[in-house]
Amino acid sequence: MNRRTFWWFTIPSVIVMLALMVFPLITTVWLGFQKLLLRDLNNPEWVGWDNYRDVLSDPEFWAALRFTLVFVVVTVPVSMVFGLAVALLLDRVGRGRAIYMAALLLPFIVTPVVGTLIYEDLFERGGLISWLWEVFTDDAFAVSASNVKVLIVVQYIWYVMPFAMITFFAGLQTLPEERVEAAALDGAGFWRNLWHVTLPHLRLLVVFVGLISVMDAYRVYDSVFVWTGNRFTEAHTLAVYNVRIATAFDIGRLGKGNAIAVITVIGIFVVLIPFLWRSYRDQIAERT
Amino acid sequence: MQLSRPPIRPSRIALHAVMILLVVWSVTPFIWTAQTSIKFTRDVASKTPVLWGYETTANAYRNFWLDSDDLNMWGVLAFILVVAAVATALGLIGRRARHGWPWFLGATAVICVALWRFPRIWEANDEYDFLVNSVVVTILTMVISLSIGLLAGYGLARYTGISGAVILIVALGFRALPRTAFVLPYFFGAKEIDDWLTSTGVGSWNFPLIDFPGIDTLQILDTRLAIVLALVAVNQPFTIWMLRSFFIEVPKEMEEAAMMDGATRLQAFRKVIIPIMWPAIIATGLFTMLLAYNEYLFVRVLAPTEWTLPVAIVSLTGGESSRTITEAAAASVSITLPIVIVIILFQKHLVRGLGAGAVKG
Repeated sequence: MNRRTFWWFTIPSVIVMLALMVFPLITTVWLGFQKLLLRDLNNPEWVGWDNYRDVLSDPEFWAALRFTLVFVVVTVPVSMVFGLAVALLLDRVGRGRAIYMAALLLPFIVTPVVGTLIYEDLFERGGLISWLWEVFTDDAFAVSASNVKVLIVVQYIWYVMPFAMITFFAGLQTLPEERVEAAALDGAGFWRNLWHVTLPHLRLLVVFVGLISVMDAYRVYDSVFVWTGNRFTEAHTLAVYNVRIATAFDIGRLGKGNAIAVITVIGIFVVLIPFLWRSYRDQIAERT
Repeated sequence: MQLSRPPIRPSRIALHAVMILLVVWSVTPFIWTAQTSIKFTRDVASKTPVLWGYETTANAYRNFWLDSDDLNMWGVLAFILVVAAVATALGLIGRRARHGWPWFLGATAVICVALWRFPRIWEANDEYDFLVNSVVVTILTMVISLSIGLLAGYGLARYTGISGAVILIVALGFRALPRTAFVLPYFFGAKEIDDWLTSTGVGSWNFPLIDFPGIDTLQILDTRLAIVLALVAVNQPFTIWMLRSFFIEVPKEMEEAAMMDGATRLQAFRKVIIPIMWPAIIATGLFTMLLAYNEYLFVRVLAPTEWTLPVAIVSLTGGESSRTITEAAAASVSITLPIVIVIILFQKHLVRGLGAGAVKG
């Protein structure tokens, strides 16, 4: 395909991305240097690095950053290992696989805010888990500042595990059976088989799932917002903290909010640049 | 005659036992909520959960969706089932027929007419408008996103120049960005445009074609259009990567043969490539559908009153609202059922889509 035709095909998408992604990002950076309040949007005032100073000296920002990092570090590996284990099990199921798969996919396809609401219901007064807790420990269970972070993490793993599961499962379908059988004939047990045959086959998928999981966990908003709302602000992640600062009724500080957004973006790119660079090299190599 | 069935061995039983445990872990919240939605308040409020033997009621559903207190919900259920049956029948015929699209169009028309007539047959609450918003936003996002994504995905799969690689990598970078980096400038930008429209007087012009009910001025903020544009944009990187990975699978010779016969590139694309791309289009469409239907943050910030269902449910079931816990459960079930049905119908495409998109991407 020549260059001209390529641009004719690609231009609508490129225009959308320029107008609604590149341009807004530039606006974000610009707004980060303005003093801009939600109730008075017409008078932005250039204040230089003030917003950034404000953010970096805000203990709430550091708390949000710390919880976000813990959240990523816990949920990503756990959901991937869990997902791989379930995928391996699912691969062995003969009859009834479609039903199992549909049931296991459910948490991932349900609207995240709704999934969180119904999960939270189990822990509210009169809910199934809080009742079981009371039966076994004689203590009343209540969602509180001390346990909400754990609940957020557990519920997120419940929500996101099917993504790893289904992707690894799809990958397992392309694993040639002869290779597994050959390894088994050579006397390889389950673990050696997993390590030397299955995982190398899934290598690219592991990187893919890992990248997507890190991106999604780092920017998590919906579920954390539903769990915490304005009750447990200390369990806010970066995105929730960011939106709260920017859009709080009557005291929303859009300038500061944009400064937080810029810092968040820089944060994910520190992790991502090596992968983007490698993908770029791969793309170039593929073309020649 | 004795069929030779594999003997049931303990390991098989163990496998199924583990799978059932996993299913319990996954679906318990759903079953709990589904139960809550059909209970009476006294059973929900009881200290020890009433797990079975309770009296069932559709009150919660009626209170959430409808404006009347005494109405037989069996009629509503029958209406929904008939519409679903007719639409499914048309869809099934369409799958068998040589030219499926008139049948699919018919199924879509049936659903649209049903959605349009429903509030005139029964007195629907405001919540019904949010359902309609959800449907409109989801469908528009899918159509726009896929049309421009298909063109770009094809171009990126076939072009070998350096700019293709650059676009792909930049898009991959965008995929990583948090919503917060976009939603604030979107809000600010939309506000600026609206202010400009108002100050020049353009905003109060009357355009018959975009005269959506409920909107009497031309504006961006607080319209379905704003939500659709935002969703199309943030969905573009994913769409073009996924579709590109499907297009790469298609051998070049396919369209080259057509172009030898005198077809232009665009004709070859439309007549030769698109017809074999339906599994890819369905898979990408499913993910786009989930994204649009499930979106919360964009709608909440960009549309203070034109809610879609996720925002409606969170806002209406939050602390201060008078909505009861059974109504919240009924709302959750109502919003979940449509996607569950769609996903069960298209489960294979979903799995294949993730497999193909991931392995090659």
